[in-house]
Amino acid sequence: MPFEVILGAWVATGLTLFILTFLYQDNPLFKLAEHLYVGVSVGYAIVKTYDTVVIRLIYEPMVKQGDWSLLIPLAIGALMLTRYAPRAAWMSRIAFAFVVGVGSGLAIPRVISSYILKQIEDTIRPLLTLAADGGATFTYDLLNPASNLNAVVLLVGVVSVLFYFFFSVEHTGPGQAVARTGILFLMVAFGAAFGYTVMARMSLLIGRLTDLIEYAQPQYERATWWLLALTVATLIVFRVRRKGTEPPP
Amino acid sequence: MTFAERMLSIDRRIIFLVIGLCTLIPLLYPVGLAIKVSPEVRSVYDYIESLPEDSVFLLSLDFDPASKPELYPQAVSLLRHAFKKNLRVIGMTLWLPGTGMANEVISRVAREEGKESGKDYVFLGWSPGGSSVIINMGQDLYKAFPTDYNNQPTSELPVLKGVQNLRDVSYVISLAAGTTGIETWYVFGKDKYKFELGGGCTGVIAPGLYPLLRSGQINGLIGGLRGAAEYEVLIGRKGKAVAGMDAQSATHFAIILLVILCNVFYLLIRTSTRAAEQR
Amino acid sequence: MTFLRRQLPLLITLVSGLLFAAQYYVPHPSSELMLTSVTKWLQIIGGFALILGVTSLFHIHAVKIRRKEPGWGYSFILYAGMVGTIVIGLRDGGKETIDGAATAFGWIYTFMMVPLQGTMFAILAFFIASAAYRSFRARSREAAVLLIAAVIVMMGRVPLGEYLIPASGDVTQWILNVLNASVRRAILIGISLGAVALSLKIIFGVERAYLGGGKE
Repeated sequence: MPFEVILGAWVATGLTLFILTFLYQDNPLFKLAEHLYVGVSVGYAIVKTYDTVVIRLIYEPMVKQGDWSLLIPLAIGALMLTRYAPRAAWMSRIAFAFVVGVGSGLAIPRVISSYILKQIEDTIRPLLTLAADGGATFTYDLLNPASNLNAVVLLVGVVSVLFYFFFSVEHTGPGQAVARTGILFLMVAFGAAFGYTVMARMSLLIGRLTDLIEYAQPQYERATWWLLALTVATLIVFRVRRKGTEPPP
Repeated sequence: MTFAERMLSIDRRIIFLVIGLCTLIPLLYPVGLAIKVSPEVRSVYDYIESLPEDSVFLLSLDFDPASKPELYPQAVSLLRHAFKKNLRVIGMTLWLPGTGMANEVISRVAREEGKESGKDYVFLGWSPGGSSVIINMGQDLYKAFPTDYNNQPTSELPVLKGVQNLRDVSYVISLAAGTTGIETWYVFGKDKYKFELGGGCTGVIAPGLYPLLRSGQINGLIGGLRGAAEYEVLIGRKGKAVAGMDAQSATHFAIILLVILCNVFYLLIRTSTRAAEQR
Repeated sequence: MTFLRRQLPLLITLVSGLLFAAQYYVPHPSSELMLTSVTKWLQIIGGFALILGVTSLFHIHAVKIRRKEPGWGYSFILYAGMVGTIVIGLRDGGKETIDGAATAFGWIYTFMMVPLQGTMFAILAFFIASAAYRSFRARSREAAVLLIAAVIVMMGRVPLGEYLIPASGDVTQWILNVLNASVRRAILIGISLGAVALSLKIIFGVERAYLGGGKE
């Protein structure tokens, strides 16, 4: 195993354990790792932005390939940066106006087509399916999401939830029944969302612990064991020092 | 304080310890329960299986290191499958922090499958703008990415022969961890440029993508680590995702138990309070 | 002067908004060329917006260090990390690998940034468990429905749950594909209608909060 990989494993394990110490208590080890995280992430973003935007998107096409039309976005981008100079900040409004205007214009027809028309189209499914012999049948296989019964349930769900969020009309009488159906559907969906969120969060933890287990192997000089001992010892030292500075009861 | 009240106000570090052990022990001593494959993951697999050799497959790794445990195994399995089918692979990312990871996974899997950069695959890298990049690629791929990640001119690469824009791509899969992901690829991409679109995503955003799955706007969805494990089973190469499933089972049951206990204690407190009031 | 400060930005928003909304319906080559060029410009401008974002972070922590506010030692670590990464990154030309071999910049990415970011989000697993234990109580009928749905989905998505109760997998699939899909669809339609309304308000100058900056 090359030296830089072993060194990297030790650094990665150390930083992982420092952040995990937060579960015990907020402490200087966690703060160190936390600030290092922000610093390195911002540094990475700056390097990548410089390399991609300045070199690959502006410098090379303009200077090496002579595409001088890129002076226009360069000027608009520069206008955006005037936001920091209080007297010239009004110029940045022109840049924002252009970006927001184009963005809104691009989004409107695409969002209408994708999210509104297409979604409504799929909700209004035919109530009966045409069988091979030309006759109409009603399929009610609950396990097949495309069956007619499920299409009815889906329609009821969409309409009742949309009605629940329609606050301009009072939810009384038959409206109340529809709104309450909507609430029940919403609760089921939120329950499913919670279940999936638990699944996602646990997966992230599984990923990190898998790495820690790998770095405990001999080829990485048992990084996890040594650094775990170091971290626990450091936490004990912090605790003893804090107890020492506390006034006696 | 009654027993129920004491149990409800237990030090949360004990719960942390329980979760930690439920994750660690199955990872060290796996059982290997069978994994059932869901229809939405199978659709993605079947579609890639049906693509003829030399078809163009675009994999957009739209995630950052925070979502690596869930989406990296998905990327590995999809790339292995695509390279086995001898598809022409285009890799890219719309998320800046994920660029290094995306480059590493494509290069590593390609090397293991004996594929060559420029000939069998290309990694385009990252470009700012999200939706603007997709529209730009849909209009003219070479305007959006004049060079690949290794500064090779894209117009001269054999792997991109005959590909002018997104309309010439057979299948796009976006592995997404949030906004600027699958929905962006549909709204600003498939809606106008009509390529087939599939998705892989984290567990957090998966439920929100089912409307698109039902309407056929995406033809399949690989959700979270479980989806990655199912795909590993389908391609017959079990990896980190399958290895994590036992720990997933243990932690889920731990949470279910905690929730049931919480409600039992809460019920006990409520009945004893009511009984005390009646007296 | 007021025209430049107030009317011109609104006019630019109106013209560009209407132009690009109409572009969707005009397949003429010059319309498509305009779309290609302007989306290229948006990428470059988007890069500048990123520069805006990171500059402010730079500034905040520089002030903290200069004023030696409490905790400035940590700001110094942040700075050292940031500057170190930038120097090494620029030296390596912004590349994590050169000809397949990892650079120092790649080392920082793989062994510092990835584990740090990964672990920051991994500790959420512990907090979600603790929060579920403290507050996931079935106080009402609706909360009970939420709880039962959550338990079914948590069981149905793991191999152990499907092994113990095979039906949990099928019920989970039904919940996700029918009940959950219908709710999410309604929310999606609602949000999209709101987004389209907001975009129209921005284009026609009714909504001006996005302009910000400078006196009117």
